[in-house]
Amino acid sequence: MLEIDAVTRTYADITAVDSVSFAVPAGAMVGFVGGNGAGKTTTMRIIMGILAPDSGSVRWRGQQLNPAIRSRIGYMPEERGLYPKQPLLEQLVYLARLHGMSQRQARERITALLQRFGLGDRRADKVETLSLGNQQRGQIIAAVLGEPVALVLDEPFSGLDPAAVDQMSALLREYTAAGVPVLFSSHQLDLVDRLCDSIVVLHDGKVVANGTSAELRETGQMRYRLTVGDDAGWVRGHGGVRVLDLDGPSAVVEIEAADEAIAQQLLREALGRGSVQEFSPVRPSLSEIYRGVAA
Amino acid sequence: MSLETRPPGEASDDAAASQAGALAPDHRDWALVASREIRVKLTDRNFLVSTGITLVLIIGLLGLQAFIAARSGATEYSVVVSSAQGEAIVGQAEAVLQAQEDDASVSVTRVGDAAAGEALVTEGDADGALTQRQGGWTLLSDGGGPAELERALADAVRQAALTANAEAAGTSVPELLSGAELTTEDVSGEDAAEEVVQIVAGILFGVLFYMASLTYGISIANSVVEEKQSRIVEILAAVIPVRALLTGKVLGNTLLAFGQMALLVGVSLIGLSFTEFDRFLPMMTEPLLWYLPFFVAGFVALACMWAAAGALASRTEDLQSTTLPLTLTLVLVFVVALNLEGAARTAGSFVPVMSTILMPMRLLEGGVGWWEPVAALAATVVFGYLTILVGSTLYRRALMQTQGRVTLRQAMRLKG
Repeated sequence: MLEIDAVTRTYADITAVDSVSFAVPAGAMVGFVGGNGAGKTTTMRIIMGILAPDSGSVRWRGQQLNPAIRSRIGYMPEERGLYPKQPLLEQLVYLARLHGMSQRQARERITALLQRFGLGDRRADKVETLSLGNQQRGQIIAAVLGEPVALVLDEPFSGLDPAAVDQMSALLREYTAAGVPVLFSSHQLDLVDRLCDSIVVLHDGKVVANGTSAELRETGQMRYRLTVGDDAGWVRGHGGVRVLDLDGPSAVVEIEAADEAIAQQLLREALGRGSVQEFSPVRPSLSEIYRGVAA
Repeated sequence: MSLETRPPGEASDDAAASQAGALAPDHRDWALVASREIRVKLTDRNFLVSTGITLVLIIGLLGLQAFIAARSGATEYSVVVSSAQGEAIVGQAEAVLQAQEDDASVSVTRVGDAAAGEALVTEGDADGALTQRQGGWTLLSDGGGPAELERALADAVRQAALTANAEAAGTSVPELLSGAELTTEDVSGEDAAEEVVQIVAGILFGVLFYMASLTYGISIANSVVEEKQSRIVEILAAVIPVRALLTGKVLGNTLLAFGQMALLVGVSLIGLSFTEFDRFLPMMTEPLLWYLPFFVAGFVALACMWAAAGALASRTEDLQSTTLPLTLTLVLVFVVALNLEGAARTAGSFVPVMSTILMPMRLLEGGVGWWEPVAALAATVVFGYLTILVGSTLYRRALMQTQGRVTLRQAMRLKG
């Protein structure tokens, strides 16, 4: 388990990260969400030891992160690239050796990874001659070549073509299935919703929401969509109900104090007035939750 | 395909953590960085071609020198005589020539009379014919004989006449000449040729340092900015300490600079030993041995500053402006060093970096106390320690700033 505990970091007079705490449990995929400048990259750089926190700490299995453990964390920075003029295999072997692997170990592992990502026959090519998609596959390999015990990925899906998104998703699932904790940031909320076990929402350097997708949806609000045979304008006058949207026969309402009894009352009233075509609870999408907490 | 990741569960975390220790980079990560720097350079075609051309030029120049010396070296003359006396005079002339040039030789052909000798000369078979006429000697030539041969023969004739005349007067040549010789003595203790060699060797040492410092300094800055521009730097910084990255870069390029210098100097010295200048080699040994540590110290003293200049840029295009202060400093040091004289020059030979140019020059000239190079070297080491502190701080602070050029003032304000 990777734990981030009350980490704070300031730049001049801006507090980029303000007492941020959350955990990435073993085998869990945690989505790190927030607008530009929310502090995601700074937090990830602090986890990787590239930036020092002003206060707070990062722990691995309860132990303060040290360079030896950090070298086993796979990292993909937001701004990433490889040496443009060096052959792919050669520089990946170099990176693996910096991770502490022997020359032979490194060659074997990277050759296998290159095969997996369909780059087997491009191994001797200089990176600058590869297509953008293949360069990105090379960067993915760079992130996982050190037999990582945890993964910290800053916008790993940004700029990937659909095929690479699928390869990347499959790869991340393999890691979580093997018990490796994965933290990744993304602006693609649908992807986060689909892949992640839990989500941490950062806003202005603070954690404003943290939990599983289901937990985040438990916002304490109860919303229903009601569609009746003719005009639904009458719902405005119904007690204990706030109308969020009204369009002819259809209305989206919020039940005050999430009182189920009021909802049932509303349904009876509607049935009493005529036909009811739809009466269903409305689950907020992740984007709506995100907008709610990060407003 | 399996990814060989650790199995899940609490126990696996422990295993992973302990294995992290086993697989973790040891303190040789800087060595990996250094060896990459060297490997990339050694497989760079431009680098190989330019080094090759320089070597070919050196070998070619020295070879040409040796070739010219060999061709003009063996002086051979042939003289025709018609008497035993003539033969003796030519033998004496050969001795005179050999005093100036070891392998000079004069071959003698004995003919019956002067007419036969003259015939051989006009046919071009001999350089001259020596005949005795009216109590004196005459050298017959076809259009004027070689000046050196004429001088040597004139010397020999004069010597023979002197000996004969002295005997007739009842005395000897040494007696006649006693007190007649003017000996000259140069109190400066300098040999003109030696002085030229000292100056040339000193300037070459200086030029080599200047070129190496500039070339490999820019190479360090380039390598830093390449990592920034390609954005690989953050991947590297997450795996190894930034300090190790800097150490490896400086070390790798220092070894490259030193290796190339040693190769050029080595080839030059070996080449020199095949030319007539080989007599100057012994006097260069000590200054050369001093030059090596001065070269390394002078280079390292600026290396971290070059790395900092690279880190202040974020694209290759910025390099020209961020490295300008260093380039100018080097040019200034080089030009000032070559133009200093007297006490100022002595003082300059203790100034860090400038000492790499001036101290070996002074050592070549001689008369330098043993403590002087030691003190100058110590000053460079202290100066180098300071530049490494400043340079590595700037490097560390500016390295992650990938948005545009970082000014010196901004870098100083940045947090590590």
